[in-house]
Amino acid sequence: MLAIDVKDLRKQFKVQKNREGLSGALKDLFKREYRELTAVKDISFQIPQGEICGYIGENGAGKSTTIKMLTGILVPTSGDIRVNGYIPYKDREKFVNGIGVVFGQRSQLWWDIGVIESFQLLRKVYRVSEPDFRKRLNELVERLHLGDLLNRPVRKLSLGQRMRCELVASLLHNPSILFLDEPTIGLDIVVKTEIRDFLMQMNKEQGTTILLTTHDLQDIEALCSRVIMLDDGRIIYDGGLDELKNRWSKGREIQFQFASHTTLDRLRQLTATLDVSWTAESDVTARMWLPHAVNVSDALACVVGGTEIRDIKIFETNTDDIVRSIYSSGSASTSKETVVS
Amino acid sequence: MRYASLFWEYIKNYAKTRLTYRSDFWIEVLSDLLYQGMNLIFILIVFQHTPSLGGWSEAEVVFVYGFFMIPYGVFSTFFSIWNFSERYIVKGEMDRVLTRPAHSLYQVLLENVDPPSLIGSLVGAIIMAISWAQLGLPFHLLDIAMVLLLVISAVLIYAGLYTALSAISFYSDAPTGIVPLMYNIQNYGRYPVNIYNKMIRFMLTWLLPFAFVGVIPASYFLAKKTDDLSQLALITPVMGVVVFTLGLLLWNHGVKRYRGAGS
Repeated sequence: MLAIDVKDLRKQFKVQKNREGLSGALKDLFKREYRELTAVKDISFQIPQGEICGYIGENGAGKSTTIKMLTGILVPTSGDIRVNGYIPYKDREKFVNGIGVVFGQRSQLWWDIGVIESFQLLRKVYRVSEPDFRKRLNELVERLHLGDLLNRPVRKLSLGQRMRCELVASLLHNPSILFLDEPTIGLDIVVKTEIRDFLMQMNKEQGTTILLTTHDLQDIEALCSRVIMLDDGRIIYDGGLDELKNRWSKGREIQFQFASHTTLDRLRQLTATLDVSWTAESDVTARMWLPHAVNVSDALACVVGGTEIRDIKIFETNTDDIVRSIYSSGSASTSKETVVS
Repeated sequence: MRYASLFWEYIKNYAKTRLTYRSDFWIEVLSDLLYQGMNLIFILIVFQHTPSLGGWSEAEVVFVYGFFMIPYGVFSTFFSIWNFSERYIVKGEMDRVLTRPAHSLYQVLLENVDPPSLIGSLVGAIIMAISWAQLGLPFHLLDIAMVLLLVISAVLIYAGLYTALSAISFYSDAPTGIVPLMYNIQNYGRYPVNIYNKMIRFMLTWLLPFAFVGVIPASYFLAKKTDDLSQLALITPVMGVVVFTLGLLLWNHGVKRYRGAGS
């Protein structure tokens, strides 16, 4: 069964145009001009149950808007959404019983009361029975090491502690789908790892479907079997992370350290049969760039045969670089030819 | 039933957070009472200059004021959502409310519940009782039921109007100017409406029916006047249901237009 089924989803906002200066402001007072801003442009995707899917894109690409439509906060302008079999904004109160939501930038908990009291309140809101609640809470508290935090008021928690509490709060009613909007924003590496491990384990044991937006690609690498990439309101990539790397990374680099001075001409001559390029770093070190089409072993074989090598390092283009290059290339236009699946 | 237990839970949390700031609690009660006291003194000063106001005696106007304070106190307890637009729309806290399985208005109200205002109701009831004795009005057991019915209806009218008012925030960017305006208009409803000109009277009776919160239901208990307001008194429950339903409909429709804040 599909956990999330989205078809031709679109969201338009009416945005007021502010004219410049005082005279502009005065004019706005009497006659406002609006323009339509389309935040999400007819996107379609499906997420089966039990999948962890990363939803990435630049700021303003439409990620949060999509999440808000999927969680029933916003009503779409057009298109169909089915989440857990519900149309989110229509049966909102019934629908939200089956989902958990964490917004990294905004607290779900009550600021002034103790964490445990917030949880108790949520228990009532979600109608979780006392024994179920206890069992679930103990489990979550143990896993996220919250034991001694429960009696402190939320405002006195550090960001990392708060975020773990937010996670617990969103999971008390045992939702089958979890929406995370930048769950690791501003957290240190230890907490990040802890949260990732926790999500991974929960997904494995209970089959919770997770959709998360993030700017930290390590979240994606650690968690997601699938990535949906959004640019300017359109999906420009939907598929596995490895595939994304293969498709977008142009190649890899090998750094050689030679025993003696080796000229670039000499190296180019050695690899003349292959489609590679060389750059010198010093007298004894040089970098070879090779596209995916060329085998590393072939390339190495050519070089090894003609020179004496001290050391070799292979640099895989990392995801950050790939994504940066996609973002900055304005790929929405290029993607039409290359990525349409 | 579930909403009732939720209500209790929120009140408990209110108590926990607010009672830790004890002085704050008493200052709020005091400032509330001072405000109401000022209004009462204003009425007394007016009657230093004239024996009657549009055919209403001092004791009668004070009676009306006493009655008004009861629904007003109840209303202030459950509908202190003056900052709705700023907190929930501009700052986007509505996001959180909408991801929880209870009616959005109910959640917003509970998060802002303000029990100290109930003391105003108590004071109002005392003022009303004293005036009742002063005026030498007859007293039947049925009157208690009628007071309850009329108070509930008046609260519904208030609730409906302010729900509608808050719901405007879903449609307009910054409706900040409307709330103080309404706040002023509502004050007119405590005085005998026949002292106003026809247009204001019509508005207070049928458009923004604040007259139904104070003077009209209160007149049910008072001696009959020439232009008999007490005839309208029994419509108060109908007005209450209609106004509240309209307010709720506007809210429910407005929620669908919520746009969220930022990204």
